[in-house]
Amino acid sequence: MKVVAFLRSLASGLFRRSQMEGEMDEELRAHIANRADDLERSGLSHAEAERRARIEFGGQERYKEECREERGGAWLESLWTDVRFGLRMLVKSRGFSALAVLTLALGIGANTAIFSMVNALLLHPYHFRDLDALVRVWEDRGIDEGYDARYVAPADATELSTHNEAFENLTTYEVRSFTLGVGSEIQPVLGCRVTANFFDVLSVSPAAGRIFSPGEEQPGTDRVAIVSHGFWQRRFAGDPRLLGGQISVNGRSYSIVGIMPNDFDYPVPVELWVPLALTPEEKGDRAQLSLQVLGRLKEGVTLDQARATLAGFSRRLAQDYPKTNAGRTMKALQLRKELYVFTLPLFLLLQAAAGFVLLLACANLANLVFARMIGRQREIALRAALGAGRGRLGQLFLSETLLYSMAAGVVAITASFASVRMLRASIPAGWTKWVPGWDGIRVDGNVLAVTILVALGTGLVLGLATVVQATHVDLNNTLKETGPGSVTPAKRRVRSALVVAQVMFAFVLLVCAGLTIQGFARLARVYQGFEPASVLRVEISLPEKVYPDTVRITNFYQQLLRGTASLPGVQHASLITNPPASNVDSETTFFNIEGQPARKAGEASSADLQIATPDFFATLKISLVSGRLLSEADSANAARVVVISRGMAERFWPGADPVGHRIKLGTVDSAEPWVTIAGIVGDVRQNWWNPMTRPVIYKPFAQSAQRSMTLLLRTATNPTSYVSGIREVTRRIDPGIALRGVATLQEEVSDSIAIVRIMGILMGIFGLVALVLSSVGVYGVLSESVAQRTREIGIRLALGAETDALMKLILGHALKLTAIGLAIALPISFAISRAMTSLIFGIVSMDVTILAGFTALLFLVALGAGYLPARRAMRIDPMVALRYE
Amino acid sequence: MTGPAQILPGNLDLLILKAASLGPLHGYGILLRIEQISRGALLIEQGALYPALFRLVRQGLLRPSWGTSDNNRRAKFYALTSSGRKRLRQETKDWNRLVTAIASALGTQPEEV
Repeated sequence: MKVVAFLRSLASGLFRRSQMEGEMDEELRAHIANRADDLERSGLSHAEAERRARIEFGGQERYKEECREERGGAWLESLWTDVRFGLRMLVKSRGFSALAVLTLALGIGANTAIFSMVNALLLHPYHFRDLDALVRVWEDRGIDEGYDARYVAPADATELSTHNEAFENLTTYEVRSFTLGVGSEIQPVLGCRVTANFFDVLSVSPAAGRIFSPGEEQPGTDRVAIVSHGFWQRRFAGDPRLLGGQISVNGRSYSIVGIMPNDFDYPVPVELWVPLALTPEEKGDRAQLSLQVLGRLKEGVTLDQARATLAGFSRRLAQDYPKTNAGRTMKALQLRKELYVFTLPLFLLLQAAAGFVLLLACANLANLVFARMIGRQREIALRAALGAGRGRLGQLFLSETLLYSMAAGVVAITASFASVRMLRASIPAGWTKWVPGWDGIRVDGNVLAVTILVALGTGLVLGLATVVQATHVDLNNTLKETGPGSVTPAKRRVRSALVVAQVMFAFVLLVCAGLTIQGFARLARVYQGFEPASVLRVEISLPEKVYPDTVRITNFYQQLLRGTASLPGVQHASLITNPPASNVDSETTFFNIEGQPARKAGEASSADLQIATPDFFATLKISLVSGRLLSEADSANAARVVVISRGMAERFWPGADPVGHRIKLGTVDSAEPWVTIAGIVGDVRQNWWNPMTRPVIYKPFAQSAQRSMTLLLRTATNPTSYVSGIREVTRRIDPGIALRGVATLQEEVSDSIAIVRIMGILMGIFGLVALVLSSVGVYGVLSESVAQRTREIGIRLALGAETDALMKLILGHALKLTAIGLAIALPISFAISRAMTSLIFGIVSMDVTILAGFTALLFLVALGAGYLPARRAMRIDPMVALRYE
Repeated sequence: MTGPAQILPGNLDLLILKAASLGPLHGYGILLRIEQISRGALLIEQGALYPALFRLVRQGLLRPSWGTSDNNRRAKFYALTSSGRKRLRQETKDWNRLVTAIASALGTQPEEV
């Protein structure tokens, strides 16, 4: 009943607005006319009767406003009026509007751009059904193995998939390099060997064809392949006849049974997937952690429950197979969060910085709005006098600020299309390989929704702040005044507080930006310990079939080194397992030191293991600290030696010289021989996230040859001009060998820190915006307060005040506000930078010069922002000022 | 001699309902009717009548319709709806209870305590 009445009056409020207004007018007029008639009958003159009737009725406009409010739908109607009013104001004061919209658009746009990255990289790195149920499982050997070592031993993986309570399904896979036969040529391709249920676990289906059947997991029946969309397009021009066709993989013929959809690139962008057909011997291997495992949790099972069952499972394995499994624990992590160790701190920092930019923009705009509000005080007082309640005024200001923030949101979204394109363009092509989600950065529904929410929230907060400010209007005084509205001390305090807030936000942002950029600059130089310039790197992988033993492997690489070293202009040629800036962690090994108590697996010390040829150190110009480098004399038959890094020497032999000491790789009771430390070399940063002093053991290649190595050449001239020479040398030794990852080391170094560089640039932009916004804010408030005090200054000047003293007064005000802001900001920035240090791999470290520098900079800005209004005040002619109303 | 008493906004609604229950009236008519039935003892700010009328219409207690007044002016007439009648009965009962209670409280003599 009431609802119907409400809806009806709402409807009339909406659709018959002007009619209702007309009727209300008519009704009130009729009342007054009737009253006047009665009064006239009682003997008053016509004019006097009308006058009295009006007086008796009271304030017509006020009652009309009250009637409108009593009527349903009033708020909607007045909202429309307010929006139209707001639009008129927006158009009328174009300068102010442009400034307001631009300021907010900067703040909102910063958040949109960063959120588009957060959305792609943190929230939706993959597009699988029920992504949060997908969990990576790996065995932790209890030693620091970096971030890449998330593998499971094949036998453990098999046992896990048969005995697990927490998972609906588990798949095992490994990424491998394959050689693809194309005509008479052989090309290296990246592929993945997967169990038959791989696609079921991910719950994806091929765009064409079928997935693998369990029967194809057996050696012999495994000659089937599913290819990527890119493979199909690039190599077969999207020919649909590819399905059912044959390709040559590792010299064998595989038939293509499926083609995956365009956006599928798990676990990394590979060209093909083949069944993981392990021999019984491989399946029984418990020693080597070589396979990756991904599971889908059963419905209702939480990650913690899964972790508990995995812990119990690994305890059982450790009991049953103490020799291999003691000290190993199975760990689990949501697939989505696998890279959080890198991405989370970086993007949370960026998002927080963007949030600060928005807060700063809001503080700035609030100041602008408040300043304008002073000019509008009479309008507001008039509205209040005519019966506009606080709520009604609130609605007016809210609709104005919401208009600004919405306009800013539109600008921000438009701009974010461009900024997202720029972000994507700034990412090196190879990066999608390492960080899933990079190619998913776009302005999608989520990003739009967040932008709109942020814009709405901004408008609401600003509007409410304005309401609180504006509705404390003293009606009588404001209406009586003839000059521009006055500013009460309370209001001046609010605006001063806003300036303090701006200085604070700006300082925190500047310090964060400064530290990040400084960290980045240090990082760019941080691949120290070697010289990346003029070095070419080439990855080579020898097929097991052709190179089954050490002799053949050594033979190939010896010829390769001899051949490339003799190319004119090549100064050094060498081999290494994992060159610096490869974005891959090195293999780790635990080791025991002779003479020290033996330690079990899981408790032993660990170090990165590298295999190098003698010239490696000369190629990268790594310095010798003590002892000797590896030499040609360290052949397969010579005494076993290693060279270790300075960081390792200092950590395990503090204050002593380890040269001549012996260590054993692996456990004490393993068959590995004791090896003598021949020398110590300088530390080399492996990847940007690794600590500089990570312990490294270099084994001579001749004593532990392996098939996959990276060739490094130091050249006299532009390294890329040697590529064809290297190809020719390789072709002459074995035409079946493909070269991969051909690049200069300088490019690798630069690409590997792309993520940090982007972050540094973004932080730099945020810092600059912060500086500009806060200086505008300080300037605005000071020049406002000088304008307000024109009279006072005039009187002071007339009474003989020194201009110097006045200058001091105004600048002192600026400095005071800045000092308060800085006093609040210093501990905050200190805390934030400490958090940053621990979160971002020690890239960022607290730096007093940066703190001091930005403190000085902000004081300078405050002085500059205060100087202009102060100079204006000095030029005030006392006579004019005194007359000034 | 005391002047007419100011009335509270809540009571104004009740009086309007009462006035309208005696037959449909336009706004000025309601004002006159209230003055008449209260024998001039109550003073109503004339303009304040209208927000109250709009409120009662919105609550569905009064039904407005346009007609012609005695002196041939177009005027909006307010008639009591059935829920308005119910409300009037209820509020009258509440009011009487309140008045009786307060009157008896105020009329209490020392010896009755």
